[in-house]
Amino acid sequence: MIQVALSLLLLPLLSAIVTLLFLRKHGNIAALLSVATAGGILAFSSYLIFGNETGSVFAWSTPWFSLSNWQLDFGFLIDSPAKTLLFVVSFVGLLIHIFSLGYMADDQAKARYFGGLSIFMFSMLGITLADNLVMIFVFWELVGFSSYLLIAHYFKTDEAAKASRKAFIVNRVGDFGFLLGIIFTYWTFGTVNLQELSVTANLDPSLTSTILCLLLACGFIGKSAQFPLHVWLPDAMAGPTPVSALIHAATMVAAGIFLLIRIEFLFTAEAFKLIGLLGAVMGLYAGFCALTQRDIKKVLAYSTLSQLGYMAAAFGLGLPGIALFHLMTHAFFKALMFLGSGSVIHACHHEQDIFAYGGLRKKMPITAYTFLIGVMAISGVHFLSGYFSKDAILLGAYNLDFVIFCILYAGAVLTALYMFRLYFLTFCGAARSKSSSEAKESTIFMTGPLLILGVLSVLGGFHAFYPSQIVEFLLPDIARVADMPNHLWMNVLGLVAWVGGLVLARKIYGAQSGDKDPLAEKSPALFQLSNSKLFFDEIYSFYVKKIQDPFFRFLEVMELLFISGLLVRGSAGVAALFALLGKSFYSGKIHSYSFWFVSGTIGFLAYAIFSGGSN
Amino acid sequence: METVTPSHYLCLSLCLFSIGFLGVLLRRNLLLVLMSLELMLNGINLALVNFSRTSLNLDGSIFVFFIMTVAAAEVAVGLALLVALYKRRNSVFSEDINLIHN
Repeated sequence: MIQVALSLLLLPLLSAIVTLLFLRKHGNIAALLSVATAGGILAFSSYLIFGNETGSVFAWSTPWFSLSNWQLDFGFLIDSPAKTLLFVVSFVGLLIHIFSLGYMADDQAKARYFGGLSIFMFSMLGITLADNLVMIFVFWELVGFSSYLLIAHYFKTDEAAKASRKAFIVNRVGDFGFLLGIIFTYWTFGTVNLQELSVTANLDPSLTSTILCLLLACGFIGKSAQFPLHVWLPDAMAGPTPVSALIHAATMVAAGIFLLIRIEFLFTAEAFKLIGLLGAVMGLYAGFCALTQRDIKKVLAYSTLSQLGYMAAAFGLGLPGIALFHLMTHAFFKALMFLGSGSVIHACHHEQDIFAYGGLRKKMPITAYTFLIGVMAISGVHFLSGYFSKDAILLGAYNLDFVIFCILYAGAVLTALYMFRLYFLTFCGAARSKSSSEAKESTIFMTGPLLILGVLSVLGGFHAFYPSQIVEFLLPDIARVADMPNHLWMNVLGLVAWVGGLVLARKIYGAQSGDKDPLAEKSPALFQLSNSKLFFDEIYSFYVKKIQDPFFRFLEVMELLFISGLLVRGSAGVAALFALLGKSFYSGKIHSYSFWFVSGTIGFLAYAIFSGGSN
Repeated sequence: METVTPSHYLCLSLCLFSIGFLGVLLRRNLLLVLMSLELMLNGINLALVNFSRTSLNLDGSIFVFFIMTVAAAEVAVGLALLVALYKRRNSVFSEDINLIHN
């Protein structure tokens, strides 16, 4: 087992190193190597998942390094949630690698792109397998780094360069809290190993505290782009579309949820409640922002934020299994929609404005129908994958916390509305620009993964279809929700949500002809509010420009005045003054030397006489 | 007629020393500086002989011999240096041998 786990982790690293050292000029070979690596990852992780019977936990660790009496282990913990995420990462990862072959076919910097993907796979698998918080943190930073690399793939455009910096810096804010949380955990429990933590926390629940788990949850808030650090994700769409699918929809942002599930035993009731409420509000807020976005990828980005909010809400309700279930189905249908949007963008020569699309269903039928499946799945159309996971969250919320339910339900209606808006504007009606009227269906490299993900988006909700090793973590919570009352009522409410969204979207956007958003004419106030995204970016830049920058300028002046001015230059100045004085004696004139010599002698003489006279 | 007392000799030696001292400090010509140095030494010699005579022991006189020996050696070395300097720099003026240009 351990050899397999190590090979699984090191294979993508090896691929990235080989690409970096030898294949920088050979984009096609690098692409094939990276895809082959993704295939190898799937093979190894299948072995890890299915190698043992259901319910077994594989744990292994070895000392990494030690500082006096503190020892850090390097270890793997492959338990039930790790198996689920391993499946999602390796499977969806492979499909997206294959899709990238088509999407990046005529990119100039293929080697850099595929090398970046391999680094990402390495770091993501590290998070999945890690058995202690410090290791998770190391790989946590590595996914942040690879995300930075890949967002900045088109670094020549100002937008991508800025977005990559923004993503990196905003993530640092969250990671700072995460790091404090890890230190606090070690301070409290004396260990960062997940299994030991779990044992200790179960033995003595009073050890943990709300502040501790909220600090750890800062990592989740940064990485999963939850309020108040959500601002980086929409901008991160400046990267290539498969990257958005892999990192910013299916896996990396979901790692935040996975982290929460890993440290679930540390959470207190208040922390659960706060995370749940935060997630629910994010679900509604992001859905509201998605309503007026014009960029196809930004709609999907806000939708990702919203769905991550649902997962956080499920976790906050005490249903981590359902959160992981939604993570899995979301990975399928969101990757499907991102890849579908990639297919559309590729066909329309990198046009991303949905008001410049239209009528693409006839030209790109496979993309259109698979995209429709994704839209229906995320909207919660009955018996598709999203229905099972999302309605499980809604039903859980209905029975456990009515406030969260109301927020989530409003979010669900909005989800159906903005997703069908996206579908109608992109694929229905008539072509509204030259690029969309000339679009053609993409190659098999791109449609193949779409079809597979389409099948999974339809069937992915039936947990009985999965091998039991993959879903073992989900089953208890699914059973718990299944035993809750109000199933029928929930089905009706779910139906109302998606049908309502569909009808509303059809009515407003069904017959779009110009490139003006009809919502802007019908309800300008609502449109403005949604388009402003509630001014978070403005508030943050106001804070940075008007409060943080002046404060740092103040500090800089203080530093110049006191530290660099008074202390550093002051002490140097005193020495220099003496040096100046000393230097002036060395004039090179023999007369001045003899003068000083004689006056020195007279001085000593005078001293001898006058001090001697006092005795 | 006034007799010559030890204090007259002392005054003379002070005058000799001061003339030599001012010569060392003020003269630009190194040859004159050397001569002024000799003058200072001779002023001191005179004072020593004077003291030796008034205190009726020979210590001062013996010391004078030493000083004269040292002075002779010093003049020999100093003049040789001065000649060598003149050959190299074509000048015996003190400002011309200043190597610090500021």
